[in-house]
Amino acid sequence: MVDEALGLAAAYKASATAHPDLADRLGPIAEAHTAHATELARVIGVALPSTVAAAPTDPANDPAGALAALRRLEKTAQQSATAACAAAPAERAALLGSITAARATHQEALK
Amino acid sequence: MRQPSAGEALSAALSAEYAAIYAYGRIGVRLTGAPRDAARQAEAAHRNRRDTLVVQLSTAGGVVPPDRAGYALPFPVTDRASALRLAAEVEERTAAHWRAALASTTGADRDQALAALVEYAVRATRWRKTAGLTPLTVPFPGRPT
Repeated sequence: MVDEALGLAAAYKASATAHPDLADRLGPIAEAHTAHATELARVIGVALPSTVAAAPTDPANDPAGALAALRRLEKTAQQSATAACAAAPAERAALLGSITAARATHQEALK
Repeated sequence: MRQPSAGEALSAALSAEYAAIYAYGRIGVRLTGAPRDAARQAEAAHRNRRDTLVVQLSTAGGVVPPDRAGYALPFPVTDRASALRLAAEVEERTAAHWRAALASTTGADRDQALAALVEYAVRATRWRKTAGLTPLTVPFPGRPT
């Protein structure tokens, strides 16, 4: 989950670099994913990986394509967070619930 | 702080649903067109969750908190802008109560709480979009600030 959140942050940063017009929209979402990774690492008790996760794929050349690709990533990530929340011990359930909800709201914000 | 029991957390969620339904009564009359329809749908969703919770809590033999005649609003609703702002806040607040129920629930009850948290967080984002508020999202939906 930590790596997945960092991978999402990296994907947003890559898209923002490729499409500067989208940077204002994508920046806060990238920060949210980094905050998720930081908080997850803290509650699990692991160090945040120091190597910057690479974006899974290069962003699309057109802004609409880049946004659609990010929405697909968020949808998949929402599913994995949903499963993690269902299986989580009580002390992590609320955090994983917020991360699940955040990933859903990101899809809405990118529409 | 003591972890609330599942029954206590769901009772608190029910009280939040009552307050949300009350708020939407004040919100709807200040809106027209598509936002008014969206408010009607949102209110229906809160009514459904209220009804489910009343049945669930009474079946389990728990305490069903009573509805009240009125609820304090965080600010007066006088026009479209304040109505949209309140709608976003109502969704965020109700989401917070469902988030609080995650820790004390498991299985189907936790799934139910998560579904409500996700649905209300997404609706809060939609209301912010309609209102032209930014940012559209918060990093940790439902987390107390």
